[in-house]
Amino acid sequence: MSVTPRSTLRQRLFAFLAAGIGGTLAAAMSFAMTVYEAANPNVIPNVEAGSPIDTGRWIVTIREARAGDVPPTGVKPYEPKKFVMVEFDADNRSAATAFVSPRLFTFDPPMENLREPTFYLVRDKWIASAINPDMPERLVVAWEWPEEQPLPQTVRLKVGSEIYKRRDNLYGHSSWFDRDPIAIVELPVTAAESEAEQ
Amino acid sequence: MPELQAGERRRYWLSLAALVVVLPAAVLAHTWGSLTQWWANNGRDPINVERGAAQRYAGAEWRMTGLSVLPIGSTGRSVVLAEFEARIEDPAVLMESPCVVALTDAGGRRWQPRFTVHRIVREQRPEAAEKPNCGGLTPEQVQAGATVKMAETFVVPADVDGLALSLIKPNALPGNLVLR
Amino acid sequence: MSGRLKGLAAVLFAAVVLYAMQHTTPFYSEIISQVPVSGRLGERVDARDFALVAGRVNLARALETESYGSTKTYTTSGVWILVEAVAEAKRESMALTSAEWIGPSGVRYGLSQRLSNVPGMVQTANFEPGLAMPFLMAFEVPENELSGGTLLVSRSLLMPLAEQVRMPVPDLPADRIRSTIAIGPAGGELPWTLEAK
Repeated sequence: MSVTPRSTLRQRLFAFLAAGIGGTLAAAMSFAMTVYEAANPNVIPNVEAGSPIDTGRWIVTIREARAGDVPPTGVKPYEPKKFVMVEFDADNRSAATAFVSPRLFTFDPPMENLREPTFYLVRDKWIASAINPDMPERLVVAWEWPEEQPLPQTVRLKVGSEIYKRRDNLYGHSSWFDRDPIAIVELPVTAAESEAEQ
Repeated sequence: MPELQAGERRRYWLSLAALVVVLPAAVLAHTWGSLTQWWANNGRDPINVERGAAQRYAGAEWRMTGLSVLPIGSTGRSVVLAEFEARIEDPAVLMESPCVVALTDAGGRRWQPRFTVHRIVREQRPEAAEKPNCGGLTPEQVQAGATVKMAETFVVPADVDGLALSLIKPNALPGNLVLR
Repeated sequence: MSGRLKGLAAVLFAAVVLYAMQHTTPFYSEIISQVPVSGRLGERVDARDFALVAGRVNLARALETESYGSTKTYTTSGVWILVEAVAEAKRESMALTSAEWIGPSGVRYGLSQRLSNVPGMVQTANFEPGLAMPFLMAFEVPENELSGGTLLVSRSLLMPLAEQVRMPVPDLPADRIRSTIAIGPAGGELPWTLEAK
């Protein structure tokens, strides 16, 4: 802790300049990137139903969409309800058994007052549990449609993606994190015949 | 190069010494809530109550009335029927928090009660089978001055000894009633 | 001149130390990972909170259960592994909420929840101190993840530094795969009966 006063002044000046230039540069770059991103919004590619979409953790193939009053269990609920259902194949590409994220599919434009969907395993006609790696399963995602809204003729689904981080920024956890949507799938909604209650 | 002045030097060492005190103090202040919580949950303070004696705890006066061991045939297992009563002093305090009961033995093992009453209890002690659980008291039963009779059943190995009923009301922690 | 060299050396040294530290820091998941207790199939393994014996390992293409008089068949695109085991708690009443099958490739297959409410399944079992309790564990794995697998059982994955029983499972040849195993109600000693079809 011994420094000559003259060099202190010069060093201080240099440090001030360096910090100032660096800071200004960083701010300018961040601003420029924001402007650039706003000017060139990321276009989410449209993907045909039936073709596989790599979302990072899952390979998802959307098959068909239907609407009706019978949930994928085949048992009509006691109180009449309307469902919009999308059938898809999910292949878990991660190294461990995992649940499909309820944020995997979202409507575009977003739907108001829609509760989180339920995923059903077609094999069991029952609520799906976690899906095993390397064992693709046919699933149905069902949204309970608000009573006051008419059932849609077509749906535009945004398919979300996930990214694996060996070490997250906060805790150093290894985990999967939500990322920007990766594809948009538009498909017609067929009216499902209610075969269950007859 | 000129040396630092004595005052500056003293301030430097003082700051360093302060750091040694302030840093642990800051950590302690930050974790104080969790520490007290942990102590309340783990640093239990057992209140031993001998058979027949009454003990005031969480708005009532508790008394153990019977601890019977009923062997289940020759399976090497027994049903333990713990019967106890509470004379209610403050219904609000008693109903404020749930009742956590467990059976403990001399070795410190803990058994949780069974939800359903065992067949043997119904056969041998039908009157006890009708008694409510500690957690199943209704507001109608809990009146100031009234005495409610309760029972809990456990399934344990036949060769246990030193059995006692541990009863915890979270609002009365760290006190932990141990009825023998 | 020598001062400048010394400074440079110090900076280099610091960079090397920081690099080494960055690359040897254990992952958070490693720091809080469970303590392995190794055991062997058919032998008693003692963890601090529980003791476990995993016995027969059954393989099937489909499992069948009966509930409320109707038969339910659980199919799979791979193979069902149905492990028969016995466990007892040591200190307090508890449940075993985590079991995994690690295939030879290192991929982790969790306990199947599809049969979780079938009587006898580990999900419905309560383990009491001193009382041996038989139970079943079901996994669904692709056929190539069968042989050379490892079974992991622990009280809960949410308890850091808890103990996890690990047992390697010897070869499971494909000719041991039955087409269907029916899980029936209690018979004799065990709370279930298994019938191969």
